[in-house]
Amino acid sequence: MSQAVDLAAAASSTDPKVGLRAVLALRRLLESLETVQVDNARAQGWSWQDIAAALEVSRQAVHKKHAGRPVVRPSQEA
Amino acid sequence: MFERFTDRARAVVKGAVAESRTLRHDKVGTEHLLLAMLDEERESGGGIAGRVLRDAGVTAADIRARIESHVGQGPRSLGDADAEALRQIGIDLEAVRRKVEEAFGEGALSRPPARPHSRGLFGFRRRRYYAAGPFSPRAKKVLELSLREAIRLKHKHIGTEHVLLGLLREGEGLGVMVLAESGVEVDDLRRRVIEELRAAA
Repeated sequence: MSQAVDLAAAASSTDPKVGLRAVLALRRLLESLETVQVDNARAQGWSWQDIAAALEVSRQAVHKKHAGRPVVRPSQEA
Repeated sequence: MFERFTDRARAVVKGAVAESRTLRHDKVGTEHLLLAMLDEERESGGGIAGRVLRDAGVTAADIRARIESHVGQGPRSLGDADAEALRQIGIDLEAVRRKVEEAFGEGALSRPPARPHSRGLFGFRRRRYYAAGPFSPRAKKVLELSLREAIRLKHKHIGTEHVLLGLLREGEGLGVMVLAESGVEVDDLRRRVIEELRAAA
C-alpha cells in the first residue's frame, strides 16, 4: 500500500525537483517523438508546410529545426 | 578560415564530430575537440596538440571517462532516470518505445535528436560537412580563437596546436574543465605548446 501512496504522492508532487524532472523527461520524449514523426512525414513526401500545419507551428520553425538532418533513406550518405 | 586548417587540424574538427556522435551528444563541444586531439587511432591525434597533451600525461581514456561522468551518454537521450520520472506522471516509457519501434523499427526513439540549422562559421559548409553538425558556441569560439592564435604566432596555417591553444584560451568549456580535473595546469599546457613550437622551428 505504501508504494501506491508513494506513487500517488509523486504524481502530484509539490516538490519542484520531482515535478521539473518529469517535465524534462517529457520534453526529451517529445523531442524524440517529433524527430521520428517529422522524418516519417518527410520520407512520405510531406512538405514542410504540411508538417508545420499539423504541428501548429510556422513553416520556418519546423524547417529550421529539422531541415538538414539526413532523412533515413538507404541512398543518403551517412 | 577553414581553408587555412592543416589536414590534421581538419581531422580534429571531423574527429570531434565523430566523438560527439559516438557519445550520442547533440552538439559538438570543446570536450569533443579535445578527445579528437588525443585520439592516437585517428589522424587528428597525430598532431602537435596530441603530442603535447600526451607528454603532459593526459590520456584519451581518462578524458573520455571524465566527460562521460559529466554529461553521460547523450544528455538528451532518454535514460533510466527519464523512464522513472515519466512513470511518476503515469507514462510508461517502455510502452511508448515499444509502440514506436513496432512502427518505425528498433532504436527509432533513440535516433539523434533534431538539430537546429548551424549558421555562420560553418553553416555555409553545411552540405559537404553535414556531419559537421552543430558546434556549440564555445567550440565555435575555440575554432575562431585558433585562428587568432595562429595570427598571433605569425603562422600562416592553423594546426592542431592552434586549436589546442584556442581551447585553452577560451578557457571555460568542458574540455578545459576535464583537463583541469585530470591535474593539468592550463598555463603549463600553453607553455608546453609554445616550447614545442619553438623546438620545431
